[in-house]
Amino acid sequence: MANDAKRLLRLLCAPAMLAVALRADPQQGTAGQPTPSSLKALSLEQLSQIEVTSPSKQPTPAFRSPVAIYVITGEDIRRSGVTTIPDALRLAPGVEVARIDGSKWSVGIRGFGTRNSRDVLVLIDGRSVYTPLFAGTYWEVQDTLLEDIDRIEVIRGPGGTIWGPNAVNGVINIITRSSRETEGTYVRIGGGNEEQGHVGFRYGGSAANGLSYRVYAKGYTRGPEIHSDHDNFDDWRGVQSGFRMDWDRGGADTFTFQGDLYQQEDGERVALSSYVPAFTGVVDGTASLSGGNLLARWTHKLKNGTDLQVQTYYDRTNRYEPNLGENRDTFDIDLVARTRAGTRHQLTYGAGARLSDGRFLEVASGLVFDPANRLDYLLTGFFQDEITLIDRKLSLTAGSKVLRTNYTGLEFEPSVRLLWMPTEKHAFWASFTHAVRTPSRAERDFYLSSYLGLAGGVQLFARFNPNPDFAPEQLNGYELGYRALIAGNFFIDFAGFWNHYHDLFSQDIAGPIHEETGLPFPQPVQPGSYLLLPAEFGNDLFGSSSGGEIAPEWRPANFWRMRATYSYLNMSLDTRVPPTLGSTPASIERSSPRHQATMQSSFDLTKALQADLIYRYVSALPAQSAPAYSTGDARLAWRFLPGFEFAVVGRNLFRPGQVEYAADPGGPVAIRRSVYGSLTWRK
Amino acid sequence: MASPPNRLARFLLISLLLPGGAAAQVREYDVKAAFLLNFTKFIEWPADAFADASSPFGLCILGQDPFGRALDEVMKGETVAGRNIAIRRISDLPEPQACQIVFTTETGEEAVAGLRRLGPGVLTVADGENFVREGGIIGFVIENRRVRFDINRTAAEAAGLKFSSKLFTVARVVRK
Repeated sequence: MANDAKRLLRLLCAPAMLAVALRADPQQGTAGQPTPSSLKALSLEQLSQIEVTSPSKQPTPAFRSPVAIYVITGEDIRRSGVTTIPDALRLAPGVEVARIDGSKWSVGIRGFGTRNSRDVLVLIDGRSVYTPLFAGTYWEVQDTLLEDIDRIEVIRGPGGTIWGPNAVNGVINIITRSSRETEGTYVRIGGGNEEQGHVGFRYGGSAANGLSYRVYAKGYTRGPEIHSDHDNFDDWRGVQSGFRMDWDRGGADTFTFQGDLYQQEDGERVALSSYVPAFTGVVDGTASLSGGNLLARWTHKLKNGTDLQVQTYYDRTNRYEPNLGENRDTFDIDLVARTRAGTRHQLTYGAGARLSDGRFLEVASGLVFDPANRLDYLLTGFFQDEITLIDRKLSLTAGSKVLRTNYTGLEFEPSVRLLWMPTEKHAFWASFTHAVRTPSRAERDFYLSSYLGLAGGVQLFARFNPNPDFAPEQLNGYELGYRALIAGNFFIDFAGFWNHYHDLFSQDIAGPIHEETGLPFPQPVQPGSYLLLPAEFGNDLFGSSSGGEIAPEWRPANFWRMRATYSYLNMSLDTRVPPTLGSTPASIERSSPRHQATMQSSFDLTKALQADLIYRYVSALPAQSAPAYSTGDARLAWRFLPGFEFAVVGRNLFRPGQVEYAADPGGPVAIRRSVYGSLTWRK
Repeated sequence: MASPPNRLARFLLISLLLPGGAAAQVREYDVKAAFLLNFTKFIEWPADAFADASSPFGLCILGQDPFGRALDEVMKGETVAGRNIAIRRISDLPEPQACQIVFTTETGEEAVAGLRRLGPGVLTVADGENFVREGGIIGFVIENRRVRFDINRTAAEAAGLKFSSKLFTVARVVRK
């Protein structure tokens, strides 16, 4: 196994050495490449449109934000060889990504990683994909043509003031490129052992009046991971297509209109409980998942310099799983304005409303929402002032979101952030923030039963009943950060945090075991036919987490870029009412890695050959029976003809498979070593 | 028949010599060099910016030179209003009338303050969007992996340079 990796590395290094030997002068263009003198003929406009390789790092807006932010660029994603968005998130510090099985991931930021990432808010082009059903994100259906992603902004730490509820531990902002930047044809096909086959297509064009557009379609079929019982249930396949139109009316107004449609069939293994024999079982089935969305955005610049933005979207999701089903329609409208007041104040304020209509479909009697249908709403308003204390050196940003949902009264999410830039290449920041995770249907409407066994000849069940008093989870976060641009080719980012949580989600025993006597719900039972251990979801956990992340980036030469991340996390949780059922403080603490590290090298061997190597280390998740692992990814891409690129990608190369998380019923699933090749044509 | 290793070597060699894909593989400072040439065509320097009528047009790189050979290649054979272009790599602020463009990658405050003292007749160009805020005339910025530029109009006028309106329309930001 280790030998395989070594062999692979040697194979990858051979062309590198050859290329270096042949590289007489790195400044010299290869035949057919635009040479500096050929650029002379271009106009100012044309020069402004050329995409340059590895542009130098400059203080960007992200550099000056008093927030722990990491930007994964579209180029990072393409060069890492990942084929899914959650796998791309492994590149960011402070993010814990663990693949549970073929189509499921646990993603957390600064701890608390779970299948649904309950306290991370995820947005795709401004559209929230956080579902109020189980509170969180279904990662397997969050997709787009990866080629068209401009960047993923990963914000560690609370972002409630701007982003709203559930941005407790972080925000993941997936942003696609404007259709102005995706003109032309893109076709890709590929296949391998796990990524068995994929196709992607995009066509983009423009009209003379500032209107541009693109359409895309993609499809994939992916094989199962490794199962000790050889029950390969988790293969999956899907198709998705969509469009985007941008209309730039020359300065004052821009319009964006976009939408997507998807359909997929994911192999899934679920545990079922029922009040009729055989009471419990593990079922392999197929989750049929589909959905679509339409989004419109208008930005307008007023004469006095105020920026206005209005955005509205409709989103539909359908889930038909072996143990439950749901249809959901969401409507959302948001308004944001940004204006200067005097020379020292930059004001941002806005308001939003969301309606989300969920209709639950019962499949198993042990898993029921009552009422089956519910219309959730969310109303938000926010105000933020960025105050310049010393011009370009010291600024204070303060503000709050105020929100209300059908489960809560008024909640406030205030924040104060201080930024000090002694020079333009050094930035120190500090912040205090408060954020909330709002209750969802999973705590308020949800009956979850599980069969425990026979007790004195009677069937014993445990059942979580809805808790009408379930309150928002609360976080107070304290953060410090420092960024430095040392020379044009070395950049480093430090962030440290201390988060204090209270009213955290808990799974509590709600009383002694008793005989269930004719309760009409979840389904009529004969009195005395079973024993029940009553339980409910409560707010009884509290505690803190602390840690930090370091992310340096170094560009030794214009054809070579190296990045690294190191993340440290220490969680310390406690409960007000021991003992709890299910997830205990210790099991939550031990489901997130204490140490994570990545190293990434992006090397342009020649103008036609790119080599990328990634090393990843994740420490153990004892509560998930996932040992610590080190692994590596590699990609070699060759532009063999103008417009054509052939790439070979290997992922998880160091061993045949590794267990990253254990949330499925049944035996552990090892995520396999995978290799695929792809052919891309761009014109 | 070539033996397999030979064939592999030839294959690799061919791959190295082939042009890249349609997605342009252009270096940042090649583009910036072409921009500098373009600037000379859309800006008019006052006569007193030069020592005399026959002195060349001084294009000066202050401090580290990020261009490699690109600047020399781009400027080869070019003239500005009939004057030959003389590219100079300098380590200190230039004498009056020696340079008509000063480009630098040093954007520390002291360096920028020094550039501001250069006086009329000199176009100052540097990297980063802060440069024009601090009184520099043109600042290169990277936006969506593309090279764009910002202009400080007040500084341009104070330097006695006449900018064509074309520059203002292509610029990313024009500051007053």
